[in-house]
Amino acid sequence: MFDKDDFDEEVRAHLKIAADEKIANGADEKTARLASLKEFGNVTLTTDAARRVWSPWWLDALHDQWSDVRYAVRALAKNPVFALAVVSVLALGIGLNAAVFTMLKGIALSPIAGVDHAARLSVVFAETGNGRQLRLSYPDYQYLRDHDQAFSGLFGTSPFMPNLGRGRTSRQAWGELVSGNYFQTLGVRAERGRTLLPADEVAVGGHPVVVMSDSLWRRDFGADPDIVGKTIEINNFPLTVVGVADASFHGTTVVYDVEVYVPIMMAPQLGFSFGSQAKTPAGILADRRAAVFYPQGYLRPGTSSANAAAQLGALSSSLASERSLADADQQLRIVPFWRTPQGAPIIMLPMLAVLSAMGLFVLMIACGNIAGLVLVRGVSRSGEIALRLALGATRARIVRLLIVENLVLALPGALLGVLLAQQGIPVLVRYIETLAAPQRVYLNLGVDGLVIGFAVLVACGSAMVFGFVPALQSSRVDLVTIINQDAAPRGAARGRVRSGLVVAQVAVSLVLLVGAGLATRSVDAARRAYPGFDSTHVTAITVDVKQNAYDDARGRVFYRQLLDTARTDTGVESATLAAFMPLGFLDTASRRVAIEGYEPRRGEDLAFMSNTIGPDYFRTLRIDVRTGREFTVRDDDTVAPVAIVNETLAQRYWGGAAQAIGKRIRIGDTEWRTVVGVAADVKYARINESPRPYFYVPFLQSYRSAMTLHTRGSGSVDALVDRARARVAALDPDLPIVKARPMAESSRGAMMLFDLTATMLFIFGVAGMTLVAMGTYGLVSYTVKQRTHEIGIRLALGATRPSVVRNLLGRGLRLGAVGAALGVAAAFGAGRLLASASLLFGVSATDTGAFIRALTLVLGAVLIATLVPAWRAARTNPLQALRHQ
Amino acid sequence: MTLHSSRPDARTDLLHGTLDMLILQTLQWGEQHGYAIGQTIRAQSSDVLQVEAGSLYPALQRLSKKGWVVSKWGQTEANQRAKFYRLTPEGKKQLLREESRWTELVNAISRVMKPATAPGADD
Repeated sequence: MFDKDDFDEEVRAHLKIAADEKIANGADEKTARLASLKEFGNVTLTTDAARRVWSPWWLDALHDQWSDVRYAVRALAKNPVFALAVVSVLALGIGLNAAVFTMLKGIALSPIAGVDHAARLSVVFAETGNGRQLRLSYPDYQYLRDHDQAFSGLFGTSPFMPNLGRGRTSRQAWGELVSGNYFQTLGVRAERGRTLLPADEVAVGGHPVVVMSDSLWRRDFGADPDIVGKTIEINNFPLTVVGVADASFHGTTVVYDVEVYVPIMMAPQLGFSFGSQAKTPAGILADRRAAVFYPQGYLRPGTSSANAAAQLGALSSSLASERSLADADQQLRIVPFWRTPQGAPIIMLPMLAVLSAMGLFVLMIACGNIAGLVLVRGVSRSGEIALRLALGATRARIVRLLIVENLVLALPGALLGVLLAQQGIPVLVRYIETLAAPQRVYLNLGVDGLVIGFAVLVACGSAMVFGFVPALQSSRVDLVTIINQDAAPRGAARGRVRSGLVVAQVAVSLVLLVGAGLATRSVDAARRAYPGFDSTHVTAITVDVKQNAYDDARGRVFYRQLLDTARTDTGVESATLAAFMPLGFLDTASRRVAIEGYEPRRGEDLAFMSNTIGPDYFRTLRIDVRTGREFTVRDDDTVAPVAIVNETLAQRYWGGAAQAIGKRIRIGDTEWRTVVGVAADVKYARINESPRPYFYVPFLQSYRSAMTLHTRGSGSVDALVDRARARVAALDPDLPIVKARPMAESSRGAMMLFDLTATMLFIFGVAGMTLVAMGTYGLVSYTVKQRTHEIGIRLALGATRPSVVRNLLGRGLRLGAVGAALGVAAAFGAGRLLASASLLFGVSATDTGAFIRALTLVLGAVLIATLVPAWRAARTNPLQALRHQ
Repeated sequence: MTLHSSRPDARTDLLHGTLDMLILQTLQWGEQHGYAIGQTIRAQSSDVLQVEAGSLYPALQRLSKKGWVVSKWGQTEANQRAKFYRLTPEGKKQLLREESRWTELVNAISRVMKPATAPGADD
């Protein structure tokens, strides 16, 4: 609608007519033309205003923005160093945050692959008076499912680790024992055959079927098209494959890759009793004290969790009346899925929180850098900005222009950052995989649209926020002063802002490095701490005889023989068996206990972790036996049941080790066991746990199919491991060995959280420090450029070069000092935060060593960053400097 | 050397509507080109109202867009090529509307400023 050529012609015509008129009044041609032009005013602006009449306001804005963008790109292309610096800085900050966000997403926001809105699942559990969180029994689950009004569907799932197959090729995998409505409620379909249905949850032992995962089907069965109908052995029990689950679904056990789904009705057949003492399969599932499921499901739309909690409360009471009195104190509770008891998300939460905070810190430093860079750019472009203002641009326009420039940088920065994150995340996943081996891990850590959107949002947000103030400052250009190069008053103000930025960066960097130092020291301390046992020169060979279909009797014979041969091997001092190893990071199952002579208080729930061990256990692991004795080969099922307790248990309930001997304890509803020994405390799960009661039962009185053989000997521990393996193979070549390694290696899991935190803090700290160095360098260079004139005068007047350097150094170090002071104060707080998240061990939150090291690093960076431009300044030629305008 | 920014002077910063009205009024006496319109307004207001080209030409575009004027290229008396503007019937109606609104406004202001004077006395 707007014809520019036509308008141009109209303007030209106007100018000619006006000029002609002036000529007619006596002016000469040149004067007339100039005067006409001057009278007309700004042709460009007028043309623009005329054009705007025809375009809608939003098109105008768009047009403006687009020309801004084009201009920004051209300007940046002329100064590629600046552009590159900003993009890299942003990419680093964004990349780190994107990685952390991806982890958060994978663990909390969309923790279940292949299921929409998984984060909205709610989980029900029973809570004892002590705060212990328990699974519900199967009848209780049924009761809830039938009577509850709050959920639109309530399913149950119980993760388990079955053996797939038999003999040499068998291996352990993750599986889930599920209720019939599991797949339906989650909305997961089968890609072949069918999923499990409510019809599969009718008769105990009457549904020998299984659904396998897509990955299992492809990896172990070669994507056999006839898989449906075939039989596979799980825990040596044949089950018919009825379907393959959708490829995107990996089960509801966060972190682990679930490969088989079996109806709960088959659990007793597969050897699971859920802690029940019942003797028949039906009895196990009907046992109200068995711990089977955490019921889960989606709340009905419109039902808040408060409503649901209230309803559950009511159901609690009616359930209590059906359960035995000992369980009457349990309350039903409901939490969102990510807070599933003992689930990976809740365990990783402290670490993720710290990582998020660190990511934000690095981003802040990055933004500080960007703000500084923008400021400097603003100064060097002050001439251009002055011109624009002269041509009629408003200050708002200038600010918008500078911000658009930031955004033009922010987007590539965001995308680059996402790319960085994409590269870094597999590294993280591989780390977690090595820790979890040989189990298969699946983490929903895809870098998808959500992550990219997050990155872009953060990038643009940072660009806007941190580019805005400097942009404002830059637009405040007074033309007179600019033209006359009297930059001092303006420069001082801008210099202050820039200095402030550097100070802030130094402070934040210091916090990161102190954190890194504290975490690293924790790792060291944890590695060196004495856990109560000695695992050097000790092996750990884990087997599960169930994998070769041994029954109880055959299993006992096997283990007896194994111990005998292992013990007599060359170089072996002692050998023993154990169900669990200490420092396994995760708590093992606690068992309810009754203590002779101790009446539990109302609501007190006595349940402790325990271990099933063979003879010579304490000798092999060099755990001190305070009083009494170890288990021997005579402690078998022909004699009275015995137990060994740890010191804390003896102290707490019987008043001391000496008093404990001869007392009795009872596990659940089994027979009373007599205490024959008291062992020193050991760190059972984590190196930083507080002392807890613990007890041991003899293997020969409490058979388990899966045990770990420990042998202690002289010489190389690897050779010991090989020999132990050979012993197992000699007894049964078809029995797969689950794990065979030096015992010291297996405690690595306990270190994982410290290790990971320390590594990431270190990376972040170094990133932060690099940015600080860049920022300082930029600031000092800028200062030098500003004062080239002044430096030249000083040199000309006889100042020595070293004194110039010293002067500039002083300036930089002063900034560093202020930043350091602030940083130290903040670091105190951060240290306390780490301590409260249980991420510190053996080091106080105010450890001087960590602080000193961090200070040295940061101030060193500032020093070097100041020295380089200062040195260059000192080499200024005074004549050139004086001539510099 | 100092530079002035070219923001319009308050004196010539007329409201869009008023400017539109003046232009329409000017065109009532026959078609004119942009330069002449500006000159006419200036002359008729005894140099008080000096409409800058930066306001005039966008205003002309506005009037064209609203259909109150139409334009076509022609020749001036000096055989100079110029774009001439002409009132449309819609434009005439608009002029009358604006004129009555303006009169109303002026009278109202007068009544406030000089309450003692009888209305219409300064006609």
